[in-house]
Amino acid sequence: MEIRILKIDETKNEYIEIGCHKTDTRVQDIVRFIKNRQGSIEAVREEQHYQLPITDIYYIEAVDDKTFIYLKGDCFETRKRLYEFEELLSGREFGRISKSVLVNLMKISSIKPALNGRFMCILKNGEKVIISRKYVSDIKEMLKGEKV
Amino acid sequence: MKERITDTMRNFFIVVTLINAAMLVLGAILRPDQQFGYEAFAYPIIYGFITSIPGLFMGTSKEMSVAQAVIREIIQLMLIIVALLVIMFGGNIANKDNIIPAISVTVSVIIVFVLVNLISWGLDKRTAEKMTADLEAYQRKNMNF
Repeated sequence: MEIRILKIDETKNEYIEIGCHKTDTRVQDIVRFIKNRQGSIEAVREEQHYQLPITDIYYIEAVDDKTFIYLKGDCFETRKRLYEFEELLSGREFGRISKSVLVNLMKISSIKPALNGRFMCILKNGEKVIISRKYVSDIKEMLKGEKV
Repeated sequence: MKERITDTMRNFFIVVTLINAAMLVLGAILRPDQQFGYEAFAYPIIYGFITSIPGLFMGTSKEMSVAQAVIREIIQLMLIIVALLVIMFGGNIANKDNIIPAISVTVSVIIVFVLVNLISWGLDKRTAEKMTADLEAYQRKNMNF
């Protein structure tokens, strides 16, 4: 497949166009890859609004009625509910690991056993989040690529 | 609840096996000449069932930290010991003849409980290693293509 990169004027919107004979799995993989590397989420910290790149998010946690987004060393609040993020990020590299946490699978460095059939994700920034028993099989399937 | 039942079932079979081993060791030490009928085969199952009950009803919908889970396990162990001692000795635990068997049963329960958790931990450790290997492959795949 030939690759062409065209520089465009900053006043125009950036775009990616794929010329192909048919949309086979190879093209779908490219589309998924591009989708995974774009997008941002609006969040608030100390009354300041920020656009957080999705790829920088480590995990999203719901605590009582509030939802928090955790980056490497920062925490932001958002108005969206966890189930909305689950829908928004479906098909991306995020997985639900408990009733209150959605984790970025690309930010996990290893998985260790916790008690009672649960598992603990050690994140790349050293934080730890628990995978509930209920979500273990879903995460296993996601990691094997059997579930998106 | 489904996960709790699955977990309890898994632990039940491990417990029954370990109670068999504990009865063999304790019996050989405390009452080597004791004779049993076929009903002896039922005891590990009955004791296994009794020890499974606290686990079924000690669940919580809240996500526990590892420290909270450890405390929960200790409370469960104490409940199991009390339940078994009450069923085996009734109100006669303080009886002089029952003190050594009661202590032996308590020590056996602790050993069985620790072994059950160690075996479960070992099985979970293998699963965690497999998941980490799958995770590394997943991350490589999503980084590279």
